[in-house]
Amino acid sequence: MEHELGTIRKEALAAIQAAADTDTIEEIRIKYLGRKGALTLILRSLGNIPPEERARMGKLSNQYKNEIETAIETRTDELTREGADSLIRGQWIDVTLDCVPPVPREGLGRLHPISRIQYEIEDIFTSMGFEIHDGPETETDHYNFEALNIPKHHPARDMQDTFWTEDGNLLRTHTSAIQVRAMEKVKPPFRVVGPGRVFRYESTDASHENTFYQVEGMMVDREITVAHLIYVMKELLKEIFQRDVSVRLRPGYFPFVEPGFELDINCLICGGNGCSVCKQSGWVELLPCGLVHPNVLRMGGIDPGQWSGFAFGLGLNRLVMMKYGINDIRHFLSGDIRFLKQF
Amino acid sequence: MWLSLNILNQMVDTAGLAPEEIALRLTMSTAEIDSIERVNDHFRTILAAKILDVRRHPNADKLTLVDLDAGERKYRVVCGAPNHKTGDIVPLALPGTRFGEEMTIKKAKIRGEESEGMLCSERELGLSDDHSGIMVLPADTKIGAAFSDLFPHRVDVRFEIDNKSITHRPDLWSHEGFAREIGAIFNRKFTSVIDYGLLKKLKDAEPIRVRILNPEASPRYSGLVVAGIKIEESPDWLKAMVEAIGMRPINNIVDITNYVMAEIGEPMHAFDRKKLNGDEIIVRLADSGEPLMTLDGSTFELINEDIVIADSKGPIALAGVMGGGNSEIEDSTTEIVLEAANFNPVNIRKTANRYSHRTEAAIRFEKSLSPELTVPALLRSYALIKKVLPGAEAVSRIIDAYPVRQKQVTVKTTADFIRKRLGERIDDDRIAAILTSLDFKLKENKGNLTIDVPYYRSTKDISIQEDIVEEVGRIYGYDNITPDVPLVICAPPGKNSFRLFERSVKTILSGNHNMIEISGYSFVGEETLNKLGVNNDSELRLRNPLSQEQDRLRRSLVPNVVNAITLNSRHSDEFSIYELGRVYIKDKRLSSELAKEKTMLTGAVYRKKPAAPLFYEVKRIARGLAEKLQIADCRLVPEDRALPPYAHPVRSMAIIVDGQKAGFLFELHPEASREFDITGSAALFDIDLVVLYAARKKETVFTELQKYPEVPFEVSVLADRTVYACDISLIIEIAGIDMIRRVEVVSVYEGNPIPEGKKSVSMKIVFASKERTLSTEEIEKLQKNVIAVLGKKGYQLR
Repeated sequence: MEHELGTIRKEALAAIQAAADTDTIEEIRIKYLGRKGALTLILRSLGNIPPEERARMGKLSNQYKNEIETAIETRTDELTREGADSLIRGQWIDVTLDCVPPVPREGLGRLHPISRIQYEIEDIFTSMGFEIHDGPETETDHYNFEALNIPKHHPARDMQDTFWTEDGNLLRTHTSAIQVRAMEKVKPPFRVVGPGRVFRYESTDASHENTFYQVEGMMVDREITVAHLIYVMKELLKEIFQRDVSVRLRPGYFPFVEPGFELDINCLICGGNGCSVCKQSGWVELLPCGLVHPNVLRMGGIDPGQWSGFAFGLGLNRLVMMKYGINDIRHFLSGDIRFLKQF
Repeated sequence: MWLSLNILNQMVDTAGLAPEEIALRLTMSTAEIDSIERVNDHFRTILAAKILDVRRHPNADKLTLVDLDAGERKYRVVCGAPNHKTGDIVPLALPGTRFGEEMTIKKAKIRGEESEGMLCSERELGLSDDHSGIMVLPADTKIGAAFSDLFPHRVDVRFEIDNKSITHRPDLWSHEGFAREIGAIFNRKFTSVIDYGLLKKLKDAEPIRVRILNPEASPRYSGLVVAGIKIEESPDWLKAMVEAIGMRPINNIVDITNYVMAEIGEPMHAFDRKKLNGDEIIVRLADSGEPLMTLDGSTFELINEDIVIADSKGPIALAGVMGGGNSEIEDSTTEIVLEAANFNPVNIRKTANRYSHRTEAAIRFEKSLSPELTVPALLRSYALIKKVLPGAEAVSRIIDAYPVRQKQVTVKTTADFIRKRLGERIDDDRIAAILTSLDFKLKENKGNLTIDVPYYRSTKDISIQEDIVEEVGRIYGYDNITPDVPLVICAPPGKNSFRLFERSVKTILSGNHNMIEISGYSFVGEETLNKLGVNNDSELRLRNPLSQEQDRLRRSLVPNVVNAITLNSRHSDEFSIYELGRVYIKDKRLSSELAKEKTMLTGAVYRKKPAAPLFYEVKRIARGLAEKLQIADCRLVPEDRALPPYAHPVRSMAIIVDGQKAGFLFELHPEASREFDITGSAALFDIDLVVLYAARKKETVFTELQKYPEVPFEVSVLADRTVYACDISLIIEIAGIDMIRRVEVVSVYEGNPIPEGKKSVSMKIVFASKERTLSTEEIEKLQKNVIAVLGKKGYQLR
């Protein structure tokens, strides 16, 4: 009997080791350990042998049973893992293909380039403590001209050819009108900007539009100086262009500021060496600015003896055109998605 | 406006200053110089040369070989002109001489013979129109002399001023003004060209008088009568100066008056003394309807705001704008009245605009010229007339009516104020020096400055201390100011919540729905409105439209969006676009209050070949937008009344937010598609953004997760084709059956085996309890309830 047990163990362990899949293992398990398995039958027949042998044979049988069970478990584990591996390897695909085509850039939605620059600039100003204000696009003579120190029949009105509406009002010619409305709403000290659409009675060509976008800015405090204006403009432009820019101020006449300036930046195309964009001067006229005229403060209900401020205007179309090298301002309002999809 | 360096040099010495430097410093301190032009620079290499010999060209009948002596060396040129002969002194342009951009003289072989330059006609030199032959110089001309020395007044540098940058400076509409600026900037002495000594030499032989009837309109009128006049062509130096300032030479007197205007800024006029009826010049407002013909032949019917110069019979000039034809000087004129006057800028501006005659004179008068300029202008003109016509003689004193004298303007400020505004430590002496260099008269008393403003700066330009700040700053140089960090309150700025809302909307449409933002004009025109069937004459009109298609303000963004569909459908088979912008509503069009501005959101989806009705596409977008914006109460309801005519009548819905109409969803009416040449299908949404902004928003509150199982129940019922599926599901929703979590329409089917005109609507009803798992009996009861509710409304299960 002992010999028989030894043979069963040897055969079983060899078969387990040789099994190539889990089904075979199951067959082996049934063959040796199943209800009618070889080892089971021996265990059941233990009652028939003499008692002095029974204890030793019983112990040996159980030991072999455990050995076989352990071997089955180990081998099953091995086979399962191998099986999974090859199964997974069988799932190989060519990951470099695009079987589901990606959404092409063409198909993506996007903001109008003016909106993008406007939001960019609004964020910069907000981060510098400016509040964003608003005003109507149809304006009164008062807000667009009179309150900005441009009385009727003032030659400065020629600088801004105006669309008049049949009710005697006008389409605002500059976002400076927002300045006046802001002064009515907030008390100094304040920092405000007003972005928006403006209109000029002007025939259109590649560099002239009757409708375009500006951002007006104004800062009023106890003692605002030209030196402050230069500082804030430099910081602002550094942020807009994401690099240091040189600026220069020269006299510019706008009735609502005194003194008034034109602010030029060094030409970003040629770096100031002179090119066709800057007409060989190395400088590009970018924004008008100045210290707020005391009459304008007064009309806005602010005492110029107590407060001073600066104001400036920035043309958004110009900025976008400079940034992307756009050569025709009429693209902006054309509604042509072939243009809009480029940004 | 053009400035001539030759003219400037009479008043300020610019020796040693490069024109580029003058232009740069003027730009940085005074006014923008647009360009610099060198006039007749090539005269330096054109020499006076004496012809030594003229021979026929061996190979050409019409050409000659000319040997010349040009002083330092001899030249030979080939010449085709007919007139030159041995002994003539002629202009020889040496190789390298540039005639404009297109021609440079080169040494060349002409028909086999060497030519070392070109002989020039007067026209080629720009000296006259004569092109009949080579210019022949006087016999005493120095051989070898350069033309730049022979005609120094013809060699000049011109600066072009950006007129916009001098609208506020009447004094800068003259060479005198710029000469003063150059003096201050470069610290050089300014010298006036006016000879006041002439005043003592005037004789009083004329009975002429002047009377101003409206001093408000005409503060001053000065005149001078000059006899011994001979009208003729101006001498070359005068012609050159007139051309340098951008005008055309006419005759000696007109040229002098034009020149004086450019030189000292006072517009002048000269008329024939003999054509004056009577001895009195009357300056008055025109009578309404009074006729006048001006020098250029235009005739006007004047109104009471126009100012005229009149004699006893009527107007002889439109004051400040143009002289009258009836008093014009002619070749036979021998005695003239020189006029220099001053007029109210507003009257002149209105008159010039009214008759579209913005002459050089009007442009200057409307800038508020000083009345003190009249006498200097007369003296300067007289001096120039004497120079051109030595026989001319003044036969009157200065005839002068000056009822309202210009007031001396004095500004009080302090050096501290100037420093405080500029934010730069400029010392007292520097401030005083700058102001003095600009002709301001200063008195200083314990830091207080009392500043007398020169007459030519005080009409409008300078009146308050801020103006003085500018004067100091610009001459000091803004570039020399050190930037300074402002000390400010540090608090987060207030938010503009509507702007932020607009931005969210755009981000959702462009980001979540892949739509492209477009932007269109605020204008619309009749043609587009007609095509949409909404030409109701309700738009606010422009008084001065640029075109018929842009003659009124839009009340809706739909026209622009539909036009954009047409445009883009030519290039693309499918796209989604939207515009967010303002519309202008004015029901009483002529009343004076401002139009109401509403921000609208209009979008469109276009497909050339849609797979399913595009209506559902815009509906999905509108719903998605409302969800993202957390709008609490947004309902879409079928709409057949109050639809705009361009909307498809049975493919449209109204958007109702908080019970208020917020807009429409619709497919474009086939008729409108046809009108706009749109092949394919387009669906739009048109939403009032203000209503969305004001809408009640969902508040996010945590809800307990569903613990007990949800039990779905699907039913299909048969219904008429045109019954809205949502109306059927609504029957279940409103039946008040407890434990129903939600009802969804799963599918709608038409076709075999469903009978014609009918459809099958499948719905999924979800039952669940928050407290327990539903028992089989409970579920069965709920199912029966649903079936019964449907049955009661006549819907049997299929």
